[in-house]
Amino acid sequence: MTVHDMKHAASDSARLEAVGGRLSRVDGPAKITGAAKYAVEQRLEGLTHAVLVGATIAAGKVIGIDARAAETAPGVLAVLTPDTIMELKGASDWLGNPPAQPTYAPLVRDVTFSGQHIAAVVAETFEQAVAAAALVKVWYDEMPAIVDLSDGKAGDGIPIDAMTKEWGDAEAAFAEAPVRICAAYNTPREFQAAMEPHGLIARWQGDELTIWEPSQWLDGMARTYAEWFGVPFENVRLVSPYVGGGFGSKALALAHSAVAAAAARMLDRPVKLVLNRPQNFTSYGGRAATRQTVAIGADRDGRIQSIVHRGVNETAVDGMWVEPLGSVTSIMYATQNFSSRQNVVRVNTVVPGAKRAPGENPSAFGIECAIDELAYELGIDPLEMRLINYAEQDPHAKKAWSTRQLREAFAAGAEAFGWAKRSPEPRSMRDGHQLIGWGVAAGTYPVRRAHGEAVVKILADGSVVVESSSIDMGQGTYTILAQTAAETLGVPVERVSVKLGDSHFARAGVTGGSRLAGVMTGAVYKAAGQALDELIGLALSDPRSPFQKLQANTLQVRDGRIASPRGEGPELSIAELMSAVGRDRIEAKGDTLPASTTAEERYKNYTTIAKSIPHTEGDYSRYSWCAHFVEVRVDEDFGTVRVSRVVSALDSGRLYNPKLAESQWKGGIIMGIGQALLEEGIVDRRHGRIVNGNFADYMLPTNADIPDIQTISVGIPDPHSSALGGKGVGELAIVGIAPAIANAVFHATGKRVRDLPITLEKLI
Amino acid sequence: MNDQVTISPTTLSVHLTINGRDHALEIEPRVTLLDALRDRLALTGTKKGCDQGQCGACTVHVDGQRVLACLTLAAQVEGREITTIEGLADEDGTLNAVQAAFLEQDAFQCGYCTPGQIMSAVACIREGHAGSDEEIREYMAGNLCRCGAYPNIVAAVRQAAQELRS
Repeated sequence: MTVHDMKHAASDSARLEAVGGRLSRVDGPAKITGAAKYAVEQRLEGLTHAVLVGATIAAGKVIGIDARAAETAPGVLAVLTPDTIMELKGASDWLGNPPAQPTYAPLVRDVTFSGQHIAAVVAETFEQAVAAAALVKVWYDEMPAIVDLSDGKAGDGIPIDAMTKEWGDAEAAFAEAPVRICAAYNTPREFQAAMEPHGLIARWQGDELTIWEPSQWLDGMARTYAEWFGVPFENVRLVSPYVGGGFGSKALALAHSAVAAAAARMLDRPVKLVLNRPQNFTSYGGRAATRQTVAIGADRDGRIQSIVHRGVNETAVDGMWVEPLGSVTSIMYATQNFSSRQNVVRVNTVVPGAKRAPGENPSAFGIECAIDELAYELGIDPLEMRLINYAEQDPHAKKAWSTRQLREAFAAGAEAFGWAKRSPEPRSMRDGHQLIGWGVAAGTYPVRRAHGEAVVKILADGSVVVESSSIDMGQGTYTILAQTAAETLGVPVERVSVKLGDSHFARAGVTGGSRLAGVMTGAVYKAAGQALDELIGLALSDPRSPFQKLQANTLQVRDGRIASPRGEGPELSIAELMSAVGRDRIEAKGDTLPASTTAEERYKNYTTIAKSIPHTEGDYSRYSWCAHFVEVRVDEDFGTVRVSRVVSALDSGRLYNPKLAESQWKGGIIMGIGQALLEEGIVDRRHGRIVNGNFADYMLPTNADIPDIQTISVGIPDPHSSALGGKGVGELAIVGIAPAIANAVFHATGKRVRDLPITLEKLI
Repeated sequence: MNDQVTISPTTLSVHLTINGRDHALEIEPRVTLLDALRDRLALTGTKKGCDQGQCGACTVHVDGQRVLACLTLAAQVEGREITTIEGLADEDGTLNAVQAAFLEQDAFQCGYCTPGQIMSAVACIREGHAGSDEEIREYMAGNLCRCGAYPNIVAAVRQAAQELRS
């Protein structure tokens, strides 16, 4: 891959609307006026409402359901149970592996977690469905549940050999190291908690299914629906114009999705089903709870000689989730000897899932706290410690970094934060009764790459339409794709309209792993370039074009006007040229796949993640990097921790729109503050139930919890990571925040809290 | 659970004044203002985030005061002046100063909490609680934003408050 010189880069780079400009969100006006219609806000004739009934036990069997009262309640159209719901076929997983079972039952008799869907009530109104759902009686044969990782019955779990990373002789080198630290780090079950609940509207018209559902992956979810119902992929249309936050949770069609689509099929009426807030804590997986031990051996100068890492994450009784805990451990610091292994432990939970930086996030909590502990063991400044062990190449892949501006991030962050003024001793900085602590930690996230396609149309009036089945959940897809098309074609950005969130548009893979911007700017750049070539080709060669007699080799488009680069001859608007040559549109479809790609490979590329390109492909190892500097204030008497200042320097390569990238970085930092200090799914020990599954008891950061945050971009264009030089943005900034805060709390108090969240009872 | 629960089919005629327009509804007494707006009147700008008064996404104004539409029955607010996000801009489309500041300061990402944030911010300024960043943070703390737009929301409220004062 190469960084393409943008055709208008020299004159336009300073412009707001060019790639790299600080253009405000183009979808902003719709969102601030209430005009933006999210998926379940469509108005449909004959719409019905479904409400789910969830299991009140975590393990056992449903031995009876009495739905009579519900069935006769006003407005009720149907009560679906495991006995009455239509049979669905099994669907392949997100890697494209065929289903383990030939059939799929989204309503269950065998319960493996609390809240699992048992029944659903469909009624004419939402109120009627809610009331009737409360009348459904369920009898259980309850069995003992393994409620979480600390349950005595949980055991050591299953080794995941694919997670093993080893070189050198880590155990022996650790045993021989003159300085050693070893500690255990825990993270709890955490939830994505997007403000827009999960839900959908399903409508069948014959064998054609339309689903309006917030989605991070239209084509992948459409495939799942098609397989469940045994209809061709083309028969399923997924619509998701705006997505009210996902953070990893909205990439898959889930059990409740199947229930709604089945109910719509059975009743032959459109069905709307939206999970209530507590159901959003049990109907899909948050981040798995994790346990890690990190042992580091070093010489007396602080050089790491060995890292031995062991990790465990919880998974479900009937599903597998691996949270890769050695992902940051294995690459952040140079070491000759390394060992990381991981087990998963089955507990009675819904299958855990992806939450912002799955793997890297808890992995960084372990290694970035441990390196701080080693620094204190040796009396070396924690920032200096990191520089002493700076990895000049990928220690695991043994390849050169494509770009790694981490040293620059440390320098810029330390300067802006004032790190040099830090007094190293714990409890040595205070302001009245508040102990002040300064902590540092690094973060990283791999550059995940894939392929995408986009359609770019130039219309008769000179306006431009970009279409893609990718989505915007707040990252700014609408905006950066408009900027890419505008700059490539040489038209003002307000003449570009971007249409996303419809699986009938040009295809795209999953919006996850911080890959979308890099993939889609590349696809739009290519499609827009093809459209521009066709436009200029018409202008030069069509006999009706006023440029034809110029005999020029090329033409230039600026501000929507076509002219010779030397300014000789005529100047026409795009609309005038289209009219002159009698065209009502120019349309180009661009994709980033090799031309030889077969139709089947394309389908697999967009509907599974099997075709993702490894970040260590070829000669380079590709990652985004960041360094966080955090100040905390801890009340000495009460143990309350407040984050009072954050400075983060980040390397996401080239930023397509710094205004939006900074917002995403701040969002990651804020979610990290929640993780460090507030967020924890609490499980009832008797019934394995999430007892704080709501927004009052599962505490998200509020505005009053968040200080000023300064972000500094230290990235440079990375030609090996994407067509336009960007690396990942969305997930990077959360990685490293929790350890930076934990390290700051240690500096403030002298207490090392290795178990998130850092709540006051752990400090007093 | 109680077998004897009876569900009243009774509906009420409710007249609501929303954004200066009158609406007549035949609804059950248990219908919330939020569901009346979203499901019956197609005013979906007001968002349902939790439906239990914990997130602020459904914030609207009733007689100028901020109110959670999910904890308010539609029938309770008959005869009161209800303002939703759809009614904040001028008839000619000129944005309210808070809306414009939200756009300029990038005070949102996914946009789902945004209508509630903006309705709260308008009231926060009107209440005289936008005097400092500290005060804005405190008086905007009832509106959750999972995308983490808080610093930009503070900047937007500060900017709009200054513009409205001058």
